[in-house]
Amino acid sequence: MYEKIMVATMGEYMDEIIKHTLDIIQERETEVIGIYVVETSVPFLTPKKVKQMMATELRSRGTEILDSLRQEFQSPQHYMVNFKGVMCEGNPADEIVKVAEEENVDLIVLGTGKNIVDKRLLGSVSEKVVHSAPCTILLVRTS
Amino acid sequence: MLEVVILIVALIISLIIVIKSADVFVDNIVEIGLALGISEIILGVTASAVGTSLPEFGSAMIAILTGTPDMGVGVAIGANIWNIGGILGISAIFAGLITTQGEELRRDGVMAFLTALVLTVSLFLFGNISFVLGIILIIMYGVYIWILIRAQKNNKNKEIECCDISEETSQEGKSQDSKKSLNTKTIIFAVLGLVGLAIGCRAIVYCTVELSTMANISEGLAGILLAFGTTTPEFFTVLSSAKKGLNSLAIGTVFGSNIFNILIGLGIPALFVNIPVEPITTYFDAPVMVLITLLLLLLIKRGMKLSRVEGVILVLAYVIYMFTRLFFIM
Repeated sequence: MYEKIMVATMGEYMDEIIKHTLDIIQERETEVIGIYVVETSVPFLTPKKVKQMMATELRSRGTEILDSLRQEFQSPQHYMVNFKGVMCEGNPADEIVKVAEEENVDLIVLGTGKNIVDKRLLGSVSEKVVHSAPCTILLVRTS
Repeated sequence: MLEVVILIVALIISLIIVIKSADVFVDNIVEIGLALGISEIILGVTASAVGTSLPEFGSAMIAILTGTPDMGVGVAIGANIWNIGGILGISAIFAGLITTQGEELRRDGVMAFLTALVLTVSLFLFGNISFVLGIILIIMYGVYIWILIRAQKNNKNKEIECCDISEETSQEGKSQDSKKSLNTKTIIFAVLGLVGLAIGCRAIVYCTVELSTMANISEGLAGILLAFGTTTPEFFTVLSSAKKGLNSLAIGTVFGSNIFNILIGLGIPALFVNIPVEPITTYFDAPVMVLITLLLLLLIKRGMKLSRVEGVILVLAYVIYMFTRLFFIM
């Protein structure tokens, strides 16, 4: 049913997301796209050097996250999974939806677990994706 | 009334000019440094430490050199208290959690505390910032930068040890590429940045002095209030990095800025003039700076993190300080 699954993570809830995705895949041949979005937006008066430092730091974190996703999905037990890592820059929700459309994915797996205060203060990528995703979404509830 | 509005608008415009000029200056001075063959590590460490603090430094320097030393000292000390109580507190409330590492706390946190303590004890003993104290402060900053550079080199070495030979050679290639040629545009922009910084800071000091006279508040207090504006780069840096989970950058910016504001922000002007300090700064503002730094260190030390509750504690500490300063001992 789900031949192409997109797993979106900013580094949070990774274990739960991986566990649920693997549970859906089981013994089927599936393409898994791991996506990490480097959010580079900063307020107007943030120094340019700081912005560059942030982008570098986030890119290296993204590489680490995609590497660990690759390790989990491309292990010998999951030989039917074909993993592809995608790292892009911009607004996380917009980029996730954009790549999902381009790649024509069947399912997006995201984590959700922020409390109401965090949602108000930090915003929720999952909520934004839910409103504009081109496919089915699995929101993994995390503690 | 119209005059007040004009001065406030001029103050805001000057602040934007100063912040943008500092950005252009740092950016181009790094390019010049690279072209002159200065190590990327040295440039990176100093640029990030200096980058966000230039508006405070410029304002304090101009204020002290143009005959309003209380305002200059107020900007430096006010910025340090606001950096911890306001900026870091608010960022912890928004981000929910800011973590840190033991090494950063031992190096930057202890240095920030030591810096605040040295200044406060000196003020208690001598009541002013003399040429000799200026030299001591600058030497302390030199030692701190040396420690930072050494730590950065160690980190780089560890990274190289982890990588294979092919990556090692590509690193060498990168460092060779990083030695860029010096072009006139870079020099012109660096000079323009510096000029913008000087003119902007002069305008800031002028507007603040005029406003403080109209509002009938002391220059020291005006400096403390001005720090809200000059720390805008720190505010945006700390808040956005905390929200993105870049915790080291968030905490490092606050400690780095606090160390720079005292050691360089007051150390350099002290080389030119003896800086008299008003008693209220010596007996209230400076000890508050030490106490709030200590409070931050104690809060972080419990679990190497700042939670939302601890952020509220920091903000409350700042509100109590400002309330007392504004209404009881103005």
